[in-house]
Amino acid sequence: MRIEAIDALRHRIPRDEARGMRTDVIVYASEALMAQIRKDLSLEQAMNVATLPGIVGSSLAMPDIHQGYGFPIGGVAAMDCDEGVVSPGGVGFDINCGVRLVRTTLEEAAVRPRLRELVEQIFRDVPCGVGGSGFVKIGARDLERILVEGARWMVQNGFGEQRDADFSEAGGALEGADPAAVSERARERGLPQLGTLGSGNHFLEVQYVEEVHDETAARAYGIFKGQVVVLIHSGSRGLGHQVCTDYVSVMNQSMAKHHISLPDRQLACGPIRSEEGERYLAAMCAAANFAWANRQAILHFLRGAFQRIFGGAARLDLVYDVCHNIAKRERYEVEGRRREVLVHRKGATRAFPAGHREIPADYRAVGQPVFIPGSMGTASWVLAGAEGAMRETFGSVCHGAGRLLSRTAARKGRNAREERDKLEERGILVRSETRDGILEELPEAYKNVDEVIEVVHNAGLARKVARLRPMGVIKG
Amino acid sequence: MGPRDFEVLEHPADIGFRAFGGTLPELFARSALAMLSIAADPAAALPKQEYPLAVESGDRESLLVDWLNEVLYWFDGKRITFRDFRVTQFRDTAIEAVGMGEPRDPLRHRARLIVKAVTYHQLKIERRGGLWVAEVYLDI
Repeated sequence: MRIEAIDALRHRIPRDEARGMRTDVIVYASEALMAQIRKDLSLEQAMNVATLPGIVGSSLAMPDIHQGYGFPIGGVAAMDCDEGVVSPGGVGFDINCGVRLVRTTLEEAAVRPRLRELVEQIFRDVPCGVGGSGFVKIGARDLERILVEGARWMVQNGFGEQRDADFSEAGGALEGADPAAVSERARERGLPQLGTLGSGNHFLEVQYVEEVHDETAARAYGIFKGQVVVLIHSGSRGLGHQVCTDYVSVMNQSMAKHHISLPDRQLACGPIRSEEGERYLAAMCAAANFAWANRQAILHFLRGAFQRIFGGAARLDLVYDVCHNIAKRERYEVEGRRREVLVHRKGATRAFPAGHREIPADYRAVGQPVFIPGSMGTASWVLAGAEGAMRETFGSVCHGAGRLLSRTAARKGRNAREERDKLEERGILVRSETRDGILEELPEAYKNVDEVIEVVHNAGLARKVARLRPMGVIKG
Repeated sequence: MGPRDFEVLEHPADIGFRAFGGTLPELFARSALAMLSIAADPAAALPKQEYPLAVESGDRESLLVDWLNEVLYWFDGKRITFRDFRVTQFRDTAIEAVGMGEPRDPLRHRARLIVKAVTYHQLKIERRGGLWVAEVYLDI
């Protein structure tokens, strides 16, 4: 594999026709991150993405890139809406896995003395759903509406405030959802799981704002130093997983018909303008809406938990909610021409700059908020989308720190209780439904989030607004 | 379920397994148990009921993925946990089996991890030294 350094932050893997690549791969990374990235198959996977029919621009790799299935995690690929393909694996099994940041009216000093109580309360009120189901009791008819209306249905039915939906990407509901494209199996898996966090890297974290880097943006987002905030990371649960499973199978069966051959079956795709492609996108939108409804239910239960501990003194407002796994139709200037493309973001975040009309009016002067969770022992970041993302990365940046160790390697030689005590000594309380939940997500398992942020900040894709430190972690 | 029936494989973000079987039907049954061992503990499930499972697919590899996705749907969607499987019919494009298990009870059946889906990533089914071997990666 030939890798050329473009500058200190950008690397190119030139198009290799022998491998069927239709375009280059561009990797955003420092030299140090590049050395880590080269240890797994993620760059091979980014090269495979470059073989997909109709890819526009380059196959992009963010600094948090790591090996996934088919697509790498931390990958961005834009497809021509007329001649390109859509790949369910390019969105991922957890459709609209995403994060929302909630700001509170409380400061760290007020929360610290009651932190254990708060964490226990949240753990009771916000189920992880690893072994059991959630607390949202809805019927099949309600689910039908949720698949179309997403977070909007939730706020209209007592699970939040109108502002919550307004301050979510796409207003908390994507247009184009068709519940008929979602299988009975997907509904069956999803229905009892609404309002649950899930396991793996999903979490709910009580954090405080450690430092503010951009006062103007922080003020616009309602964030200040010392403030307690909550970061929620979850997705579309079993409903989205089943939608992806169903359509990977549909695409695998129809690829021969569409004369598509691929280096990896997990990339299975179909033309955007085909029955299979259109149906998948209609189902994907429905699953994305379910994910927004899920995060909305979690926010509702979180408000209840804060209320029980701090009473009326605690007010919780949503700063914003962004997707990590999604395919969206957006318009960009490509080689001097305005084009509509389908942007696949697989472990990547939309990062629209100041002035973009899809950003809520309150934030339009500073750019879209972007949240980058680090690991549970380190830090998370609030960024603001910048112009560079529009020019170079189809309005996208990274989504996390990126894994360094496998789950098995992270567990090896470690004891969950000891690790929990170590985190507690550093002022971080962890509550997990499963033993492995803690061990597999330890800080040592992840790259340094600050290094990842430096790259996107210095490359002009997004700018630093604030650094957040964890206080309490709830995990599946 | 002995230690030689399957082993866990590493993946940077997720997890996989390598299962072994004397025959393809045994390999498929052990692959399902390997996946359920990652999600929970099959040994904690009592074989109270028999559930018929049947899957058809285009080829042997996709049959394995579709079979495991079927078992996962029963586990995550129908909330049935299995202790063992008896394969009654098998060819490269179709499998029929009986799953022995019971409805999931959060108090008795401790869950380990939520398995989201079964992937085609580096999927392998091959014969090695008289044994059938399958390698499968799961999305966690």
